[in-house]
Parts: sequence; structure tokens; C-alpha cells
Amino acid sequence: MFYTIIEQVVNGIISGSVYAIVAVGMTMIFGVLRAINFAHGEYYMLGTFGAWFAIEYFDLPYPVAVVIGVVATAVIAVVVGNLVMQRIVGASAEAGVLATLGVSLILQNTTILVFGGSYKFFSGGYIEPVSILGLTLAEQRVLIIIVGLVVFVGLELMVTYSRMGKAMRAVSQNIECCAVVGIDVRQIALWTFILGACLAALSGVLTAPVNVSVYGGMGELITFKTLPIIIMGGLGNVRGTFVAAMILGIAESLVATYVGLQFRDTVGFATLMLVLMWRPHGLFSAQARF
Amino acid sequence: MSIELSRRGFCIGTVLIGFQSASSGAFAARSEDGTVRLGLVAPMSGPNARYGSFSLRGAQMAAKEINDAGGVGGRKINVLPGDSQGTPVEGVSATRRLIDQDQVDFIIGDVSSSVTLAMQPVVEDAGVLLLNAASSNPMITYKAGAGGFKWTFRNYPTDENRALIVLQYAAEKKGYTKYAVLSVDSDYGRAAIQFTKKYLPRFKSEILTEDYYKEGEVDFRSVLSKIRDSGAQAIIMYGNADSAPIVARQMMEAGIAGKIPLIGNAEFNTEKTIKAAPKALEGAIEAAAWLPGYQSERSKAFVDKFTAEYREAPNNHAYVHWETVHLLAKAIEQAKSIDREKVRAALSGIHYASAVGEVTFDDHNQARLPMILLEIEGGKPVIKGAYAAEIDYPK
Repeated sequence: MFYTIIEQVVNGIISGSVYAIVAVGMTMIFGVLRAINFAHGEYYMLGTFGAWFAIEYFDLPYPVAVVIGVVATAVIAVVVGNLVMQRIVGASAEAGVLATLGVSLILQNTTILVFGGSYKFFSGGYIEPVSILGLTLAEQRVLIIIVGLVVFVGLELMVTYSRMGKAMRAVSQNIECCAVVGIDVRQIALWTFILGACLAALSGVLTAPVNVSVYGGMGELITFKTLPIIIMGGLGNVRGTFVAAMILGIAESLVATYVGLQFRDTVGFATLMLVLMWRPHGLFSAQARF
Repeated sequence: MSIELSRRGFCIGTVLIGFQSASSGAFAARSEDGTVRLGLVAPMSGPNARYGSFSLRGAQMAAKEINDAGGVGGRKINVLPGDSQGTPVEGVSATRRLIDQDQVDFIIGDVSSSVTLAMQPVVEDAGVLLLNAASSNPMITYKAGAGGFKWTFRNYPTDENRALIVLQYAAEKKGYTKYAVLSVDSDYGRAAIQFTKKYLPRFKSEILTEDYYKEGEVDFRSVLSKIRDSGAQAIIMYGNADSAPIVARQMMEAGIAGKIPLIGNAEFNTEKTIKAAPKALEGAIEAAAWLPGYQSERSKAFVDKFTAEYREAPNNHAYVHWETVHLLAKAIEQAKSIDREKVRAALSGIHYASAVGEVTFDDHNQARLPMILLEIEGGKPVIKGAYAAEIDYPK
């Protein structure tokens, strides 16, 4: 009984790590652009497709495919960032919602048009199970947890110490002041967006070996998992996002085991509602910022 | 300025929409062009697009064969696809579009039971013949024929038969009595389990855990560890082909690969699925309407032709749609007309030699068909025989 609970918590931490890597990009984009990026899951999908393409058509090893998936997404993010996301800076919230929903539809359907709507089989990765203290996990899952930790420590260091990170925080606090002191707000917005998209892509390529199936619509589910996480974590809050992702991952895992798998997807929004009743500005923000 | 622009845009948009509906009305001419207008509703996009693509290619291949041989009663068959995206809402609008704009007389569809159930009242209102080729929820034929919907036929075995056949084999040949359920949360997955439960007492068996997954679900770990600890001897899975490889891979992680086999139906037997996790699929038992390895001349000829034409082996959906178009063509030929009433009457009394056996319809417009049972042994699907069971319609 106790062992099962521990195992389910570990399962939850693994799915939490995946959610966290995706959600942190979305929350940073929100911080800087004040827009919820409804196309975020699509960058997760694009990364996975990039890696799948590299393996399937060029027979490249998995680590190289990971790099290709992320780089391909970065290229697309540069284009979308310049054409769409930069223009959202300072625009109304509705403009942000509509623009990102549009981008989501275009990216999803272009992928379906190019590669067909059917599921693809992702053959790369490290899927052999390893045993750690009596728990069996695919090697890939261990990799996911390690990469998740590295990403978060890296991001914390970046936003605290680097010039770009400080600028990102500044923009997320006050756009007008940043413009006054000469920070190129549009440039910061673009880079934040590209970073966020790359993190989503990274998460996609890391999970592809255990999720096996790759298809054009796979991003939608991720976007809707990510939404409650970033709201719970306090929009724009990196550390809060990490904790919220873990809470959701573990809660989902326990619900799937003790209540039923069919109720898993309701957990996110149910938890969100409870959190918002108690703390309307999310768990980790002292006050509502916007 | 911006208001003016959007107002102008709105006007242009309205005019364009007006043009579009006017032109589609003008082009629609019910079967007056001398063809048989056959609508095909299937998921052409979305997570189940794979099924739609196989269905369409199967149907188009049959139409081409018939057309090349001179058509049916001198008319060529024109297949008009409609995308259901695998959801009832889109399925109903695709059906409406086919009936209202394309003016079809016959519709084949859908792959998904939830969609077919939603389409039934639509075709009933329009008096258009719906021939289902791939949905297996028993409710579809409970409601058809003597059940009320006189325009719906089904040329596919039902889950009630499937549940019985799988359970019987698992109990009698394998000695399983304790099961865990992991099925898709749809009319198909739920009904298959509902009918499994109907027959459980007959084999002194029980279900220990019961879980349903949403389409697109990728994390089965929690549920699989629960199943591992439950003492189940086999997992009853009625699901989609695309979830089977994910479940199989995660069975390896949960340490139940090769110990607790999957039984039911989710394309366990395709090369792609087995390749995902060969150890987990060893011993999997599946009841299928048809499969490429089935030994009959007509079946083998179909597989060869399809593979040559599309450079990919056909799946079950390609076959059933191919066969159903041929079945419909025979009914039209026997009716000597494309009048829907006459074709419907011809279909009720038809004796059609399909690749898996003779097709006749019962008073619920349900085809009497055998199912093929197979088990995966040494990484290959092995056919264990064809089984038929009578349907026990509720009184």
C-alpha cells in the first residue's frame, strides 16, 4: 500500500517534470507579452515532429534528432515571433488570444497537410526499464527528470544573474519604465518567445519515446494541461510554475490510481478552481500583478 | 478608420459567403449526372485520421474496380468524402453536407461508434441509406431495422459478439478468470465492456479493476501499476490502434510485459504495434472482423492489389470499406435502380459472397458475420479460427 503510493508519487513527479518544462516557457511568455500563448502546445508538437522526421527519413541517432527537433522549432519560432508575437506587445488581451489561437491552427494544420493526419510511430529513445530502489522506470524517464532539473536551475540562474534574464524580469514588471530606460522591449519579447518555444520543443522530444505516437493534434492536450499550471503558479512566476506542475502531476497520478483513469483530465481544472477560490492570484504570487 | 475597414471586410465576407452557398446550390444535381453519388463519412483529420485514410482508399479502390468494369447498371460510382474528425458533432455536419449539398443517395460511415450513433437519426430524417462498415457498438443495430431506424444497415460484426468470442477463448483455452479493464472512453470502448460483463458469469470470471482512457491519453503508468498489484490475469482492452503501442511500452516499465497479456481489440496484431514492444504483446488475443493474413482467395487478391496500389498493406478498415462498396453495388444491381427504397429492399434480402463468408442481414439490418480470432505467438499473429455468435437482442 505504502509502496504503491510512493510509486504513484514518482509517476506524478515524472509527468510533473514534463508539464513543468512546457509550462515555464508559457509562463515566461505571459510575463513579457501579457498574452496566454494558446499555440504553446504546437511547439511541443513541432519539436517532436522534427525529431521524428530526422529519425525516420535520415536514420539519425536520437540525441542528434533531439537537437534537430529543437533547432527546427527555434527557426519556426523566429518567424512566428517576428510576424506575430512582437506585435502583441502592448496590444489588448483579446488580440493576444486570437493571434495565438490562429497561430495554433495554422501550425497544426500545416503539419497535418505536410505529414498527413495519421499517427506516426516514434522509434528513438531509451525505453529499456531500469530498476531504482525497487521502482522500474524507462531510462528515458530518468533522463526527463534530470533534464527538468537542469532546465529549472539554468533558468533560475539566467533570470537572476544574466543581463537578458534581468531584462526579461524588468519587462514583465513594467514595460513603460523599460522603454524609458532604453531596453528594447520588442527584442526581449522575441527572445523570451523563442526560448519558451524551444523549451516546449525540448519537452516534446524528451517524452516522444515513452509516448510513442506522434500526430498533428498532439499539442492541444498539452496547452490545456499547461493553462491551469501557469495560473496556479502565479502567471509569470518561474518557481511557482515548477511547484504547480509537480502538484498537478502528483494529483493526476493519484486520481488515476485511486479514482479512475477517466477522471485524470478533470484534475487540472478542479485543482485550479480550488486554488483560485483560496488564492485568486495563484499560489505563489503575493498579489495580482496585472 | 479601423471600424470602417472591418465594416468593409464584413460586407465583402457576407457577399462571399452568399456566393458560396448560391454556387453550391447550383452545382448540386442529385444523380442527374448519371453517377451513383456515394458519401463516405470518416475521420479524415484529427487523431483517428489514419482510419479515415484507410477507409477512403479502400472505398475508392472498390469504386475504381466497379467503374473500370463498366460501372453499376451503367452508372459510375462517385465517392464523395466527408470529414467527421472522429467526433459526433463534425460527423453530423459532414453527413448534413453530403445530403444537402452533395445530394448523395447512399452514405457509408463512420468508423467511430459515437459518430455512427449520431448520424443515424440524420439519415433517417432524410431517407438516405446509411451503410455502416466499421462501427461495432451493439446499440447501432438494436436501434436499426425492427428497432426503428429503417435506413441504417451494418456490414460489420458487433462488440457483443466480439466480447463473447474473446471471453470464451480466454476462459476455455487460457483458463483466465480474473481481468482488469483498460478501454477507450467512447461508445465503442464502454459498450464492449458492458457486453463483456453480460457474459462474465457464464465463464465464472470477474473484473477486478475498471479504467477508461480518453483518446490521446499518453500516460498509463499509474493504471498499469494498479493492474499489476490487482492480481488480474489479463487486461481487457477495447481501444484504438494508436494507444496500443503506448500501453504496451508502458507495460514494460510496469514490469507486466509478457505476464499479463492484452485481450480484446485494438490492432494488437499489426507489425507496427508489435514492433513497439514485442515482449508486452506476446500472448495478446484479438478478435477482428478481418485481417490481412486471412486465408481466402478473395481476401488475398484484395491485399495484393491494395499493397501494389498504395505501397502499404491494408488494415481492417480498408478491407471493410472496400467490401461494403462492392456489397452496395451488388444491391443496386439487384434493385436495377438507384432508387433508395428499392436498394434498401434488395439489401434486406441479399446473399453476398464476401471474403470472410456469405453476408445476409437479419431483421435489425445487421450482417451475420464471423469474427477471426488470433493470438500473438513468437512476435507474429497466429489465426486461431473464425467464430460466429448469434446476437441476443433485448426484448
